[in-house]
Amino acid sequence: MNLKFLVVDDSVTMRRIVINSLSSLNFKSYVEATDGNDALLKLEEHPDINFVITDWNMPEMTGLELVKAIRASERFNHLAILMVTTRGLKEDIIEALKSGVNNYILKPFTPAVLKEKIDQILNSKNLES
Amino acid sequence: MKNDASVMNKLFEKLDDLKTIFLYSEKLIPIIQKLIDFMRNTIPLLENINQSITETTNKIPSATNQIDSVTSATEMATTEILDTVDKILMEINSAKLNIDNLVSSLNGYLNDEAKEKLNLINLSLDNITQHANNVTLSLQVQDITSQQLAAVNYLIQSVQKRLGSLFQDLEDTNISQMSKYTDKNIFNENARYQDTSQYQKEIDHLVSTNNSSTSQDEIDKLFLKK
Repeated sequence: MNLKFLVVDDSVTMRRIVINSLSSLNFKSYVEATDGNDALLKLEEHPDINFVITDWNMPEMTGLELVKAIRASERFNHLAILMVTTRGLKEDIIEALKSGVNNYILKPFTPAVLKEKIDQILNSKNLES
Repeated sequence: MKNDASVMNKLFEKLDDLKTIFLYSEKLIPIIQKLIDFMRNTIPLLENINQSITETTNKIPSATNQIDSVTSATEMATTEILDTVDKILMEINSAKLNIDNLVSSLNGYLNDEAKEKLNLINLSLDNITQHANNVTLSLQVQDITSQQLAAVNYLIQSVQKRLGSLFQDLEDTNISQMSKYTDKNIFNENARYQDTSQYQKEIDHLVSTNNSSTSQDEIDKLFLKK
């Protein structure tokens, strides 16, 4: 299966680091978004996106609001969602999981952790990278 | 006559009271004078403090702008470093490709010593690639510190807002307004640049058990270890 990622983060640095890490893992297809609103627009523009990697703290629409919007949408609720954030409090993680994220990574992360979480999500969804 | 005597006695009593009052007043007057002097000296001091707070409050918008500039500058510098690392990695890939082509073209002409040296060069290039990738990963610090700075900005702006409304209530002083306020959603005030491996393990456990029948107690026990 061809994976196309949507990388959502308001930090240009973090978007590049996530994309570089994806490239080092041989995932070359991606689209970038700067916040939740932009992400929803990009999902409309690129219907072949099947994997969302999102930050939590962003302006306009946060990552958590994006996750809820995706899960509430009939068109997009099948998407795999991985949250990559600095928020490590138990309450935050539980809230994110309840909102519908498939997995959760704490920043700063390594490509090895990113690969592990992508593989876990793909396995749980019976998809192959 | 008896009545006159009692009236006179009362009069003397009142005069004694008056005398006591005068005696106390004599002692009180210097104290009151000191109090007046103190208040007279305090007024300019209070005015100075008032002016100082007003000036400081007016400087806050430029302080928060400076913090924003620091964030922009570090983001720009980080982008430049990322560009440079990308160029280094491209050069390394190109060098590795050239070595592979050289080995192919010299197939059969290379002795064992030359092959070993080329292997060592390849190994060094792989190590440099790994180090360059580690530099990239360390640059996540820019995002984390920018969140910390945004949290500081938010705090400063809250103080400025409070002081501003206080001054407007007390007197008709104009306090500079912020051109823009930090959005509370853009930062996590607890953001830290640290080794996350242990925390990640705990998160992984929480994620893996979230959909099973994990009790809140079990989740709490897991996070108590922190």
